[in-house]
Amino acid sequence: MIYRVITVIGFAGVIAVLFTLEYLGRRKNSTIPTLGEFLGYAMRPRAGRLLILLGWLWLGWHFFSR
Amino acid sequence: MTTGDIPGVPERPPRRLRLPTVNGRLAGKAAIGAVLVAYSWVAGGTTPFTRNSLLIVLVPGAVLGVIAYGRPVQRIPPPDRLDLTGSSYWILAIAALFEWEASAFRDFTNTWHPPLSNLVTPALGVHPLKTVAVLMWLLAGWGLARR
Repeated sequence: MIYRVITVIGFAGVIAVLFTLEYLGRRKNSTIPTLGEFLGYAMRPRAGRLLILLGWLWLGWHFFSR
Repeated sequence: MTTGDIPGVPERPPRRLRLPTVNGRLAGKAAIGAVLVAYSWVAGGTTPFTRNSLLIVLVPGAVLGVIAYGRPVQRIPPPDRLDLTGSSYWILAIAALFEWEASAFRDFTNTWHPPLSNLVTPALGVHPLKTVAVLMWLLAGWGLARR
């Protein structure tokens, strides 16, 4: 049971880090990009755009279809 | 015979379908929002592992694919360059999330190291919560299409 709690804390911790990064990225003169800027930069090449859109589609399939 | 044929009576411009609000753009957004909420509500009611649950994901995927490649919308210009250190925080955090999820799949023991999808499945079984999740997913897709 304790391992399950550790797993949940691990997921919650990583998700909290993602939100914190977004918050820090939105501050003025921050060197940390926002998630939108980061993904936008990764989507500049056509392959990056395709991969990220496929990742979005996979997330939907993973959580809502199965 | 139209009104334009009568001297002194100007011809009326053709009628267009307009949404009855003061601000047409706001009305358009409200209409799109209503459609998205309705779609999310219907999608939230589907049962996993069914054809309908697959369709509710594939249809927005196809629409977004057409928008992203066929009819691109006005995009938010990406930054010319990113700070390497700042970007590395994102890479590390996303890699950690994938590693934690991948190790859960590798072990596949729901009792002590369940994957994230197993943890959120009970919440997604509640119709309003799944509706909100689908709506967030759709909005994220729209955000990506604009990038």
